[in-house]
Amino acid sequence: MDIAAPPKESLAAWAHRRLFSTWFDRIVTLVFGAGVAWVLWQVLGWAFLGAVWSAPNSDACAGASGACWAVIEARGRLILFGLYPAEEHWRSALACLAVMLTMGLSCWPLFWHVKRLAALWVAGFGLFLVLMRGGVAGLAPVTAEQWGGLSLTLFIFCGVVVAGMPMAVGLALARRSKLPVVRGCAGGLIDVVRSLPLLTLLFTAAVVVPLMVPGWLQGDKLVRVVLAYALFFACYQAEILRAGLQSVHDGQGEAAAALGLSPAQRVFLIELPQAFRNTLPSTINQVVITFKETSIVTIIGFFEVMASGNAALGSGDWGRAFIEVYVFLGLVYFVFVFGLSRYGAWLEARMRRGQRH
Amino acid sequence: MPRFASFRTRAGFTIQVGLLLVIALVLAGLVLTARENILGQGMATGFGFLDRSTGWPVNVSVIELSARSSYARVLLAGLLNTLVVGALALVLATLLGTVLGLMRVSGNLILEIIGTTYVEIFRNVPMILQAFFWYAVFTHLPSPRQAITFADAVVLSNRGLVLPAPEFSATDLGVLALAALAGVAARVLAARRGLRAGRWLALGWLVLAAVLLWAGRAPGVPMLSVPELQGLRIAGGLTLKPEFSALLVGLSLFGAAYIGEIVRGGLLSVEPGKLEAGRALGLTPGQVNRFIRLPLALRAMLPALSNQYIWLMKATTVGIAIGYPDFFAVVSTAINQSGQTLELLAILMLGFLAVNYTLGFALNRLNERLKLKGRS
Amino acid sequence: MIRSGFLSLGLALGLALSPALPAAAQQGGQLKTVQDRGSLLCTGHNGSYLGFAEVDDNGAWQGFDIEMCRALATAIFGTPDALQIIPVSWAQRFPALQSGDVDVIIKVTGWTMSRDTELGLQFSRPYFIGPFYVMSRKDIGATAVADLEGGVFCVNSGTTVERVLADYMEANGISYEPLAFEKGEELRAALYAGRCDAIAGFGPFLAATRVNAPDPEAFEILGDVLALEPEGIAVRQGEDDFLDVVNWMVSVLLYAEQEGITAANVDEIRAAPPSPTVERLLGVSPGIGERLGLSDDWAYNVIKAMGNYGEIYDRTVGEGSRYALPRGLNNLWNKGGLLYPLVLD
Repeated sequence: MDIAAPPKESLAAWAHRRLFSTWFDRIVTLVFGAGVAWVLWQVLGWAFLGAVWSAPNSDACAGASGACWAVIEARGRLILFGLYPAEEHWRSALACLAVMLTMGLSCWPLFWHVKRLAALWVAGFGLFLVLMRGGVAGLAPVTAEQWGGLSLTLFIFCGVVVAGMPMAVGLALARRSKLPVVRGCAGGLIDVVRSLPLLTLLFTAAVVVPLMVPGWLQGDKLVRVVLAYALFFACYQAEILRAGLQSVHDGQGEAAAALGLSPAQRVFLIELPQAFRNTLPSTINQVVITFKETSIVTIIGFFEVMASGNAALGSGDWGRAFIEVYVFLGLVYFVFVFGLSRYGAWLEARMRRGQRH
Repeated sequence: MPRFASFRTRAGFTIQVGLLLVIALVLAGLVLTARENILGQGMATGFGFLDRSTGWPVNVSVIELSARSSYARVLLAGLLNTLVVGALALVLATLLGTVLGLMRVSGNLILEIIGTTYVEIFRNVPMILQAFFWYAVFTHLPSPRQAITFADAVVLSNRGLVLPAPEFSATDLGVLALAALAGVAARVLAARRGLRAGRWLALGWLVLAAVLLWAGRAPGVPMLSVPELQGLRIAGGLTLKPEFSALLVGLSLFGAAYIGEIVRGGLLSVEPGKLEAGRALGLTPGQVNRFIRLPLALRAMLPALSNQYIWLMKATTVGIAIGYPDFFAVVSTAINQSGQTLELLAILMLGFLAVNYTLGFALNRLNERLKLKGRS
Repeated sequence: MIRSGFLSLGLALGLALSPALPAAAQQGGQLKTVQDRGSLLCTGHNGSYLGFAEVDDNGAWQGFDIEMCRALATAIFGTPDALQIIPVSWAQRFPALQSGDVDVIIKVTGWTMSRDTELGLQFSRPYFIGPFYVMSRKDIGATAVADLEGGVFCVNSGTTVERVLADYMEANGISYEPLAFEKGEELRAALYAGRCDAIAGFGPFLAATRVNAPDPEAFEILGDVLALEPEGIAVRQGEDDFLDVVNWMVSVLLYAEQEGITAANVDEIRAAPPSPTVERLLGVSPGIGERLGLSDDWAYNVIKAMGNYGEIYDRTVGEGSRYALPRGLNNLWNKGGLLYPLVLD
């Protein structure tokens, strides 16, 4: 016997059910609806209707009722590219694109194999470094002190995630080790690092390590800071992975052992892939947090997008337009972070679909 | 098999000893190199500077402080500032987060949209930008002379929110704290013995303390201090400075977005069958929520919540950007003033370790207590 | 497999990023170390400090301190381009010098006793005299600091002014409420919003703050000077040869101004030096370079490329800039200021 499909709900009926079905719903809908409309109108008036789009300096905006977007016209390149030499900005832009493309591609399930991911990132980073550093193929060399803006933010972010993931796997496995000392060391390291503010770790890497490590081991400041940040990321991610590993049923490991897989194969082929899949939402969340916190590196003198934003409004000509610069910065972060979190939601939905089969 | 086992133990032993040796060597190498570098450059080291007076003031403190206070005392004041704002933000974020979580599973479209929009906006903009925003809001209120007043008792201006406050001396506070401690102890002891009277005993202690305070007060001193305008500032009352308020609001709203997600996840993780079972037993919807849904959701949420709380504590460090003298800001100023970078960085790390370990420990204990007993 | 993939990636990263390792700080011979490297490492800022370290629309550094860095690079290498400006935050400046990230700190850094004795630093002779003033809103109607009794005073945290203000207020029995901000931008925003009744600070910073206000006319710098701060250029302890170069670079800039030698007329004067000292200064007769381990035309190069002290001052913070700061104490001794050149013999 066929059961007839329920009649399709009309838009009005749907709106009534979701918005006006009870008195409480009606009041909430009207009050909050009016509030939202008012806020939107105010924002519209400030950002568009009363805005000044072009001016020689912020004095010209003094009389306007809206935003002084002229600051973005004049200083936008500084915000996006930082101290990178002006005539080479195209390289910084291309490097940004290369990294963004690499990020985009690694979100694509086709690339979800260790070898493919590694090849992709080696290629992506290679291209980025060639473009940013120069010194080959007729490109003028640019030192790391001059890197800045969005490309530096993206570089730090990607470097942290790419270097932090293997660290996280190592730490998560070490914390599950049967050897008490290994387990204790990993656990201690994870707990200590997670209790510390990121900034103290970065500060240590930038200014204390040179005092504590002989010169030949120091490496570049940027590398040290990326590695310290990667350690911080890894300690959080290791805990996420540990939860994921715990959720893999014991029977699977036993089955793999029965099939004659070595312990290493068991971990890397059976348990870890499942742990990664099970913890994807938390992992994405961690990655999102990592992106937002890259702005902290400004305190140790890196000219990432937040610092270059501060430099952009720190001039006699543009000092008054600080709100516009901060709004612009907020939008830049929002684009990336919102993209990442939507991607996370999509992954979650995809996984749930997968589980139902 | 026994041979294999002994080999494994021996190999395991070697690995562990090797690991310890490597760690010890690396640490020794670091310390020795640092020593050499520091001596080579004629830098003064050690914690002697902690006793020296700072010469700079800190404007928010729960303990007595002046420009003559020692570095140690100023650092302590900073740590306490962090604890105060962190603890309050933790409570507010949890309350608001719970509301948000409930909104997002409520079924009303507008509430869901507002909840979702809130979470997406507040999660996706860096905390420091949000702190700037709230600080700008609080400092763009009218000046003290044009302050907004409510019932002559609450004054809101760009110098902060001033509330009427009880006039307590340090001794009064001591008496209150003792009474509170005694009350809690009485309650716990009574509960251990299975007595119901614990609640009354605790109340009794507080009443006793109140009577003592009232009796011991010098005549003519008012119990409440009410704000009033004096020259450039508002005197009397309890002032919540804009720096503090902005940080508190920013942290609470940012934290609430994350906690809202945790609460939503927790609520969704409760199987509908259990709620139906509750209803079938004749519980009212309120009772179902209170006795079945929330406790079960809380269990699912607690590990994630404890992570979030530790994170929130660490996020107080954005206070430095808006002029709130939190622990990090004070340490940072001290680094600039005294130049003792290594020592102060170590103090900063130890301070946060202590706070977060205590918090983590307490939440773990709670988690253990709340775990479903018996079969999981 | 996983590991080898990531390992090769890590290697690629490390190899590509690590340039020649930074030379460790050595006892003596620092000038040689810098010369061998081929460029001077000087402090910039993580953002901007108005008038002293700013970034222009093209991402190039400018400002008084940056010009000093350029002058030092010119003295050592003959060209202002042999210079790398390392962005450094306030908190990071001393550790950055101690660890060798930079060769010198030129970052309006006051010469204080604890910095001089405990941090392993030594300071050059002051290259800038920073008087600390108080600026308040005109509508308060204050004409002296004492009129601001009970007001909120904002300052930059971690700077000398924090202490100077506390001392001044206590000595004069004025009560006040301090409020400290880490960054100049936030401090300025707080003043404009009326969070503070006044801000205390370094004269140039106050002038810049006033220029940038939505209504510059609403603010007034009060006449009381809280204290003076002599700003020095800091190098590591033990690098005496390098400190000599720094001291004489500053001196040459001042001497050139005293003698009226500018970037525009230096060639003319070099062709016909009016005195034996100028002759020596510009390298026409030998002596000025060799004793420092530099070439004899170093002073000529500095003046030719950067101009004299007055020219640098004018174009960065003085009349030729947006801040239009009067010379005041930073004028030469014979024009009512505190600055003077050392004796060139």
